[in-house]
Amino acid sequence: MTDTAERQMELILPMVADIEIAAARAAGNLARELGMSGDKIDEMTHAIVEACINAREHSCCADKRIYLRFVGTADGDCSPRIDIWITDHGRGFDVQQARSRRQQLGPAHKRGWGLQIIEAHMDEVEITTSPEGTTIHMVKCEKKS
Amino acid sequence: MSEELRVAVDRRNSGAVLYTKGYINNVGGEEIANRAYELMDGGARTLLLNLRETKIVNSIGISILIEIIEKMIDQGGKIAFCCLTPVIHKTFQIMGLANYATIYPDEETAVKELDLQP
Repeated sequence: MTDTAERQMELILPMVADIEIAAARAAGNLARELGMSGDKIDEMTHAIVEACINAREHSCCADKRIYLRFVGTADGDCSPRIDIWITDHGRGFDVQQARSRRQQLGPAHKRGWGLQIIEAHMDEVEITTSPEGTTIHMVKCEKKS
Repeated sequence: MSEELRVAVDRRNSGAVLYTKGYINNVGGEEIANRAYELMDGGARTLLLNLRETKIVNSIGISILIEIIEKMIDQGGKIAFCCLTPVIHKTFQIMGLANYATIYPDEETAVKELDLQP
């Protein structure tokens, strides 16, 4: 793959059971073509799975669709980098509240770990959310930890 | 699309080894729970979950695994895991599962330490 356009992929997926696996496989294939290592791809795919589940379980969107965009590039030293945008047209959520709820509940509580897993597995995470929908932009780089 | 999890059970003297194959999501977690609870009802007090053929998990599936661990601890038993991929190991640590169950690198070590020899 040498052409920039070939490194971009856009998907619109229905919110059905296990659809997160289709999203994760698509991103994984792109990452492999870019030369990203297996461990990095595994971390990225687990983050995508959690982001898609959050959209499916919590967005309450009318169109029942998840919009995904993947862009694969090379950093300055030709190291693979993937930018991922996952969007729903749902009701949005309070990011601060989601984070603080996790801290209050403590390690013994069993649910609500999606955001924490995403942030642990990705190098950069940015969430834009409003009553019109949510977009999570995540970045995975080969060279970062 | 369907990503069905399969669970194979190998009964041992004081417990069992459960081999999972596939995605551990809510459905997969419930499948493991059903098999684990059957074994616990039958008197098993040590369960080893070998995840060698599981490459992907999600937080809902892991939350069900934590419920199984809690139930087993309540009954005085223990659950352990082996053969995790690095990312699954990391996810278990994030969610605190590693605080309640021992994670072994391979089945041989786990079986020896848990006294689950065939």
